[in-house]
Amino acid sequence: MISPLSLEIVVLILGIFMLLVESFSKSDDKQGLARFAIVILSALVGFSFFTTGNAGVDLSRAFYSADATALFFKRIALVTTIVVLVMALEYRTVLARFIPGVTPGAGLGEFYSLPIFTCAGLMFMASAVDFLLIFVSLELVTVSFYVLVAYMRRQSTSLEAGVKYLILGALSTGFLVYGITWIFGLTGQTNLYAISEALHTRDIARAPLLFGVMLTLVGLGFKIAAVPFQIWVPDVYQGAPTPVTAFLSVGSKAAGFVVLLRVLEPFLGLSTINTNVLTLLAILAGATLLYGNLAALPQDNLKRLFAYSSIAHAGYLLVAVASVQNSPTSFGSAGVAVGYYLVAYLLMTLLSFLVMIVVSNHSRGDDITHFNGLAKRSPFLAFGMLAAMLSLAGIPFTAGFYGKLLVFAAAIQAGKFVLVGIGVITVAAGFYYYLRVVAAMYWQEPNDDTKITLSFLSKFTIGTLTALIFIFGIFPQPIVQSLRSVPMIQTAQH
Amino acid sequence: MAPVLFYFFAIMTLVFAVAVVANRNPVASALSLVVSFLGLAALFVGLDAYFIAVIQVLVYAGAVMVLFLFIIMLLDLRAEERRRVNIFAFVGGGLVAVAFVAQIWMVLQRFEAGKTAFLPLPAERIDDVRNVGRILFSTHNLPFQVIGVLILVATIGVVVLSKRELK
Repeated sequence: MISPLSLEIVVLILGIFMLLVESFSKSDDKQGLARFAIVILSALVGFSFFTTGNAGVDLSRAFYSADATALFFKRIALVTTIVVLVMALEYRTVLARFIPGVTPGAGLGEFYSLPIFTCAGLMFMASAVDFLLIFVSLELVTVSFYVLVAYMRRQSTSLEAGVKYLILGALSTGFLVYGITWIFGLTGQTNLYAISEALHTRDIARAPLLFGVMLTLVGLGFKIAAVPFQIWVPDVYQGAPTPVTAFLSVGSKAAGFVVLLRVLEPFLGLSTINTNVLTLLAILAGATLLYGNLAALPQDNLKRLFAYSSIAHAGYLLVAVASVQNSPTSFGSAGVAVGYYLVAYLLMTLLSFLVMIVVSNHSRGDDITHFNGLAKRSPFLAFGMLAAMLSLAGIPFTAGFYGKLLVFAAAIQAGKFVLVGIGVITVAAGFYYYLRVVAAMYWQEPNDDTKITLSFLSKFTIGTLTALIFIFGIFPQPIVQSLRSVPMIQTAQH
Repeated sequence: MAPVLFYFFAIMTLVFAVAVVANRNPVASALSLVVSFLGLAALFVGLDAYFIAVIQVLVYAGAVMVLFLFIIMLLDLRAEERRRVNIFAFVGGGLVAVAFVAQIWMVLQRFEAGKTAFLPLPAERIDDVRNVGRILFSTHNLPFQVIGVLILVATIGVVVLSKRELK
């Protein structure tokens, strides 16, 4: 058995080690670094199954919790980082073109190392049960993303994306900290369990508490890209290097949702304000669903389409969060739905981004028209993309379908019929824009006939992700069981 | 702190914060920010938070702002002065700000506990710096270490993004 904190420590040491090797090695070829990191991170995914839990830890005084939820989201962070590194390897030629360097591999070593630090931040976020650690790890993630988004310095869109992300990220951080300040001022605590205890034992004014929770929601809403805090998403997603876009849309979102669930937990347990908070969440969810799906309809650029699709999926996840029912032992079916949906989202989003990187390397662009006739050029890639698109749209026998099913089941259980109605309509809109890509791949003539070559690593990753989408779609039980067997968030005892 | 002093410094902070946004000249904006920070530091003194007040002056008003001014002067930003105001953004931003202030006002109206006075500090000497240091290296060590990583990442980022030619 190993201490859970050692996972983060190993990740951090790996990051620092890579930076050292990068600065002292004579070789211009930095690919070995990324491969080494992939191996270590994969080993850590394995080790995460042998960690000791929270035994003997007083959570109301702790910063760091190693409960099952935390471990689950740590694995999501690790797997995401691994696939992002695979993408970064595939993307290196594009990247090298837009980095001002005197040697061929200039700046690539740092590009492989920074996601490692982001990963450590995401893992800390998954475990954070104190506003201080939540804030600090969130900032670690955000600051590393500021750098990664603006990484292609010679491309003005990347720089523009970096500046936009920096300004709006800083603004959202301001809201988050202001909200935390109000909550701290009212309860005198920053630890979530201690806050929960204070809320139940002391008489705390309702209006300022709601105000604090609302501000915190605004701050987190920026991170998970919920409407009306989504303004930054399309430009940043389109301008950032594609592996970073994938990392943003999966890693950042998953960690944002685990923090959202943890932060909301003490307040949803309080009967005086929980209906208000849930109504607020339901409005956010409905607006996010409608905006994300409708704005995605006319998009011709695939990266931009994924930006809106990422907003739309945040909407489905928010539907599940808004359907959280206050039960003493667990978050119930809503928590399971969020967890499962994020796994499905991870698989299909990373898969589609990986295929997109390979294709745009050859076609020099990431519009939907660049995918014309992909089935003739590379049936393997086209099938991978097909699986991702079907799953994103929510066709039966894919992981995405089962995720949506769980979300809607949770919403029906909680009596949120309006949200289910909006959800069903927006799923139909989703069919249109996802299947446009499929139509381009299978029914259009190819623009050029060059063969698409693939490295073994990418081929292996695409194959695995495609297989997992169908396996989890047909046999969702393993994940659902692992989520259900433990309470999603352990509530404090009263 | 006497109410007169509180209002004086609070108004100073707010007026100069507005000046940061309203000024067209970047140097004037940066200098207004320094004054705004000084007002904020005075408010911290009023709350008996001397350490934070000193840090506010040393780090923000001192180091960060001097760096800011240097960069602004070196870059010679003239475009900002010529920029026209976007009416739509101006009205929209103004509405959000007004709504936000109104909300804070309403919350404060209903907040009875906000009207009670602070408890007086214990009479014996309190060692601010020592206490902060002790907490950082004992109970709050984990977040402190994460901040260390954050600064490392920021340093790498600055080098990667600002170096003329990467090797």
